[in-house]
Amino acid sequence: MIRETVALTRRELLRITRNPQAIVTSLLLPILYLVLFGQAFNLENLGSGKIPQAYFLSAFRGAPSYFSYFSAGMTGFVAVTATLFIGANVIFDRLFGVLKRTSATPATPTAIFGSRLIAGSIQPIGLAFLVLGLSILLGHLGLSGLDITASVTAVGAVEILLAIVILSAMFASLFLAVGFSLEQPQTYFAAVNAINLPVLLTSAALYPWGTMPPWFQNVASVNPITLAVNVLRENMFAGATAYYPYGPSIYLLGLFAWALAMFVVATLLARRALAPKR
Amino acid sequence: MPDAISAQGISKTYNGKVRAVENVSFNVEAGVAYGFLGPNGAGKTTTVAMLTAQIAPTAGHAVVDGIDVFANPQDIKRRIGLVFQESTADSDLTGRENLELAAALFGVPRKEVTSRIDSLLDRMQIGDAAERLAKTYSGGMRRRLELAVGIIHSPRVLFLDEPTLGLDPQGRAGFWRYVEELRKDHGMTVFLTTHYLEEADGICERLAIIDHGHIVATGTPSELKDRLGGDVVTVRPIKPDPTLEGVLKGVPGVTSVAVQDGSFRVKAPHGEELIPALVAACERAGVGLAGVSLKRPSLDEVFLEFTGREYREDDSVSATDRAVRVGQVQQAFGRARR
Ligand SMILES: Nc1ncnc2c1ncn2[C@@H]1O[C@H](COP(=O)(O)OP(=O)(O)OP(=O)(O)O)[C@@H](O)[C@H]1O
Ligand SMILES: [Mg+2]
Repeated sequence: MIRETVALTRRELLRITRNPQAIVTSLLLPILYLVLFGQAFNLENLGSGKIPQAYFLSAFRGAPSYFSYFSAGMTGFVAVTATLFIGANVIFDRLFGVLKRTSATPATPTAIFGSRLIAGSIQPIGLAFLVLGLSILLGHLGLSGLDITASVTAVGAVEILLAIVILSAMFASLFLAVGFSLEQPQTYFAAVNAINLPVLLTSAALYPWGTMPPWFQNVASVNPITLAVNVLRENMFAGATAYYPYGPSIYLLGLFAWALAMFVVATLLARRALAPKR
Repeated sequence: MPDAISAQGISKTYNGKVRAVENVSFNVEAGVAYGFLGPNGAGKTTTVAMLTAQIAPTAGHAVVDGIDVFANPQDIKRRIGLVFQESTADSDLTGRENLELAAALFGVPRKEVTSRIDSLLDRMQIGDAAERLAKTYSGGMRRRLELAVGIIHSPRVLFLDEPTLGLDPQGRAGFWRYVEELRKDHGMTVFLTTHYLEEADGICERLAIIDHGHIVATGTPSELKDRLGGDVVTVRPIKPDPTLEGVLKGVPGVTSVAVQDGSFRVKAPHGEELIPALVAACERAGVGLAGVSLKRPSLDEVFLEFTGREYREDDSVSATDRAVRVGQVQQAFGRARR
């Protein structure tokens, strides 16, 4: 069981690294947001200095600028754009007979599904830190950049890592569930598009917290991307904890609940798809 | 000898309407190579898919290597090897990585993995390409890799669905030599579907002919050939002549005469010696001959005899068609990716 899962996970990771296009594509959207949207949308410039900084600090929940606030959101969003390829691989593996070949081996459905989930949870880590690094770099190039105002503790770093991994696991489960349920690449990508934008647009990854009406804040506060991004923002910006009702561990717990629910649904769908066909 | 494969009344109806396999029963003794012959769309792949727990049967019961296939689909996979009709190799892995993955999934002892892979690569003559991605392989090289992947764990029962499709003669010979060794050393049972009848003749101890989802004949290759009643002499008159049938039947030594497209298929135990007599009889009857040919009983003839045709033109989608189409899709995507 362990040997199978390790071998299948290795295969999945090899596949991902050998398709640089998939990696570029998963970084494209977040990077475009950073170098275009983020550069043009400097909310703190509004009011030409007449609006007190404290007002913005509260709107951005402790982040020193809109870009800093928003680049943390984009780091979380990478978990979505990267994991969608894990689901797409299921579609292509079915089309090319690889899934049939694998299910004809003693590999259990748990190993076949689990290996893809593990690969999907690990793979976005590097990409997320790439986005984080780029956000910081932009600031040093005279552009709007990410300014980490808190000194991140070891615990904080672990929390950030966990947030990225759990969020990735949640979306990997979601996209695997879709991948195991659908057969055609076109329908898969249509479904993914129908998921991505609403999930992003109901999260607090993009909008300043202070500009949302209360009902929207309620919706956004349970969005999994928000939960992960909260962990990042609380750890990266000095004094940010004062703007959040809970500490990072509570948000991690909520995120974990999301991931668990998605995992259960995805396992059921994958098992059904991998059982001998009726 | 206990049976390695026992199928009792297995049937498969796809989507409630395509009756691919109907009430098929047969037994394969352990250690035997069993050939499953049939035209496109006859139900060969469907039968293999049921016996290897890929699809659930609509009805029936099957035991493979002592395990009830339909009750324990997971257990059965440990004991069998399977080579699919279509290509299933992992394009984004190298040949060696494909084999390593299969070795891990089938639990090949870690100490033996490298030596087994090297020996298989060598036998299938793809050692030079071992470190290249499988998507860069030619069709035949992919097939060789496919075969190597299917036998890496020296299974107790090996299912081969048209395994040598698209292979050159050396590739075929190399593969069959290795299969023969596995049979000798491990008493491996082989279940083979094929269109290459001479191949089945050389390898299989027993054969079944399947058509329209039904088994229409079983036996050893020589039994089946004997059932044809010996050689077939085909007599082709210049002009169609219905009276010739009676004339030919009257020649001593002729077992039967069948008309096909204006030609006459004359069966006789010793066809060669009968040709002069047949020609003389035609001359006496004043029938001009366009040609006379002799066919020894081959499985081709057996096939023709029991299914009424060599290869069927069918409007339904057969697995061969699908394999070809998947190949095209793969190529298209492969190109797009590069
Ligand atoms: N998934 C499927 N859904 C519906 N019909 C199917 C399916 N798979 C096979 N069939 C049908 O079942 C019949 C038997 O198909 P099968 O693939 O078993 O034939 P085969 O003997 O392997 O043919 P070939 O020599 O072309 O490989 C065919 O009529 C085919 O169209
Ligand atoms: Mg077939």
